[in-house]
Amino acid sequence: MNPSQVVKVARREYLARVRSRAFIFMTVMIPLLMGGYMFLMPLLFTSSGVEELRIAVVDVNTGFGPALGEQLAAIERPRLDVTEQAALPDDSESARQPYTDAVLEERLDGYLVLTPDPDIGARGRYYARETGNPVMLRDLERAVEATLLDRLVAGTGVDTERIRAWQRFDLEAVTVSDEGESAGGFEAAFFSTVALSMLLYMAVLINGQGMAMAIVEEKSSRLIEVILGAVTSTEFMAGKILGVLGSGLTQLGIWVAAVLLGVFYAVPMLSLGAGVAEFDLGTILSLELIFYFSVFFTLGYFLYSVFFAVLAATCTSTEELGHAMFAAVVPMVIALMSTFYVIANPGTAATRVLSLLPPLTPLVMLARVNVLSPPLWEIWLGIALLALGIVAAGWLAARIFRYALLLHGKRPTLPELLSVIRAG
Amino acid sequence: MPTAALRCENLVKKFAGTTAVRGLDLNVPAGAIFGLLGPNGSGKTTTIRTSLGIYVPDGGSVELLGSRDPLAVRHRVGYLPEERGLYAKMKVAEQLTFLAAIRGLDEAEANRRAHAWLDRVGLAANARSETGELSKGMQQKVQFAAAVIHEPDLVVLDEPFTGLDPINSRLLQDLILEQRGRGATVVLSTHRMEQVEALCESICLIHEGRPILDGVLADIRTGYGRNTVVVEYEGGGGPLTDLPGVRRGEDTGQEARLELDPGADPQAVIRTVVNRVAIGAVRLEHPSLEDIYLERVGAPPSPAGEAAS
Repeated sequence: MNPSQVVKVARREYLARVRSRAFIFMTVMIPLLMGGYMFLMPLLFTSSGVEELRIAVVDVNTGFGPALGEQLAAIERPRLDVTEQAALPDDSESARQPYTDAVLEERLDGYLVLTPDPDIGARGRYYARETGNPVMLRDLERAVEATLLDRLVAGTGVDTERIRAWQRFDLEAVTVSDEGESAGGFEAAFFSTVALSMLLYMAVLINGQGMAMAIVEEKSSRLIEVILGAVTSTEFMAGKILGVLGSGLTQLGIWVAAVLLGVFYAVPMLSLGAGVAEFDLGTILSLELIFYFSVFFTLGYFLYSVFFAVLAATCTSTEELGHAMFAAVVPMVIALMSTFYVIANPGTAATRVLSLLPPLTPLVMLARVNVLSPPLWEIWLGIALLALGIVAAGWLAARIFRYALLLHGKRPTLPELLSVIRAG
Repeated sequence: MPTAALRCENLVKKFAGTTAVRGLDLNVPAGAIFGLLGPNGSGKTTTIRTSLGIYVPDGGSVELLGSRDPLAVRHRVGYLPEERGLYAKMKVAEQLTFLAAIRGLDEAEANRRAHAWLDRVGLAANARSETGELSKGMQQKVQFAAAVIHEPDLVVLDEPFTGLDPINSRLLQDLILEQRGRGATVVLSTHRMEQVEALCESICLIHEGRPILDGVLADIRTGYGRNTVVVEYEGGGGPLTDLPGVRRGEDTGQEARLELDPGADPQAVIRTVVNRVAIGAVRLEHPSLEDIYLERVGAPPSPAGEAAS
C-alpha cells in the first residue's frame, strides 16, 4: 500500500463529501434543530401560551365544586375565569349536554366535571375543544389535588403547605467513583450518552451514505476501472474511509463549536430562565469522557465506514444500495439499543460482554464510561479488541472489495464472497 | 521497449455460464495503432479488461509492456473504458488533475497538464464547470484527456468515437495520431470501420471470443485481391446486386459496390453492368474493411449495410 496514493484518494473523497449538499445541509441543520429543541422545549413547557380560559365547574355529588372554584381562581397564568359553578345529578352525556353545547359554541373554553371516588374523594375530567396543552392540564390537576388535600387534612391541624413541600421531595443521585463524587444518575447519563451516540450515528450515517453512493457511482460509470488502473483496491478503500473519517471529524468539530457557542454565548444572552442557566456542562461532560468519546468516535467511525464501503462495493445501482443500506446500519442500531440496557445495568456481566464486542464497543463502552466508569483495563481491552476488529474487517473488506467492485450486472452471492475471501 | 506492447497467448476468460474469450492469441506491435474489431458481444471489451489486469484470466497468459503482471505496469497504461463516466459533481480541471495525480504525477505537474489538455480539446473555458454540466461529447474529450494525460506507453481506447460529431471525431483522430507520434502504442476497439481504415496499421477481428482474422491491414486487403466492382451510375436499371457472378453488394441507386464470387470474371460483370445502366464511372478495388468484416462475421439478417453501425 502506497501512502501517497491513499492520501490522494482520501483528499478527493474528503472534498467531495464536505462540498456535498447533504453535508452542508445536515451540518447546519443538526445544531439548529438540536439548539431549537434545547431552547424552545423548556419555553414551550413553562408557558402554556394561553392568556385566559373561561371554564365551568360541574359537580356531580362530591361537594368539592366551590372549593375547587377558589383554587382555580388562584392560578395566575392562564387566568381561569370560572364562569359557572353547577351541580348535576349524574355524569351522563345528556346531563352534560348544555355545557358541551357551550363549548362547541365557544361560550366556554372547557368544563371540569367532578365525580365521586370512594378512595380519594373525587375524580376529575376536563372537557374542551383543546386538550393538548400539558402545562394547562397540569395546572388544573394541581388545583383539584390541592382541593382534595385541603379536605383530607381539614380539622387535623396539619399544614397543607408543609405537605406540598414534602410532595416536592426529589431523590438526588450521586455517582461515586475513584475520581470522587459527581451529580448524575440515570437521566444525566441517559441523555448525555444518547446525545453522544447520536452524534456518532448521524456523522457515520451522513458521510458513510455519501461515500457509499460515490462508490456505486464509480462502479456504474466504470470510472472504477480507470481508478483501479492507478491505485490498488486496498489503497482505494483506505483512501475512501480516511476521506470520510476526515469529513466526519470536520462535521463533529463544527457541531462541537456550535454547542460551545450556544452554551457560552447564546444561553446567557437569551437569559432563558433558571432551568437552562443552571445547566452545568461540566457535570455532564468530563475531560475523561471527552477523551474516550474522541477515541470511540474515531474507531467506531472507522469500523462502521468499512461496513458502508463493503456494502457499496457489492451493489450495482443506487436503488440496490438504497435497499441494502440498512445492513450497514444494523450494528449501530443494535449498539444504540444495547446502550439503554447498559445505562440501567452498568455492572452486570452481560454489560461487560456487550461492551467488549467490537461492533458494539464504540457506543456501549462509551455508555459504560459515562455511567459507571469500568476498570481501566476493561476500557483498554475494549479499545484493543475494537482496533483488532477494524484490522480484521479491513482485511476481509479489501479481499471482497476488488472482486465486488469490478462485478457488474449482478450482486455477488455470499458463497462467492466467501470463496473470494478464502482465495484472497 | 519490447517489440510487442501487448501479447496474449491462448487467453481464456469465463463468466458464470459463458466463456467470453476462448483461446485468444493477440500480438500488438509496439508503436503501432492496433484495431481490435468484432461485433457486439464478441469479447473485445473482456479481452481488453483481462489484458489490463482488471479481470484475472481463467487460462493463458498476458504480457503487458514486457511484464507478466499487468498491475505492475499500470501507471504506463492509459485506458478509456467503453461505458464512460466521470465524477459528475467534480470540477473538470480538478478531475483531470486528480486522475493525473493518482497515475504518479506530482500535483503541480498534474495541474499544469490538466489545463494544457483542456486547452488542447477546446474546453479551457469549462475548467471550473462541474463535469456533469458538460455535453456528452465534451465529457468524452475530457475522458480521452484523462486516459493520456500521464503520457502512457500504451493507450487503450474502447469505442472512443461513440457519440462524437464529425468535427470532434476528426479532432480525436488527430489526437490518436499524436499519441503514436510521441511513441505510444494505441489499441483501438471500435465498430467504426472507416476510422480503423484511416488509423490502424494492424488489426485483429474477434468473433465469439476467438480471433478470426489478424495481421497488417494492407496485407489483409491485398490478400483478397481486386474482387470488388464499384459502379457509379445515373438513372434506373438498378439494383445491380442480383447480377450473375455477384456474391454480395450494396446499391444506393447511384453507387453500387459489388463483391464478386470467387473465380468470377470481373470483366464479364462490368460488361453486363455497362449494358444495363448509364455508367458514370466504374473501377475494380480491393474489398473494404467493412466488406471483409461482413464476409467474416456474416452479413446482417435484415437490410444490408447496417452492420457497421
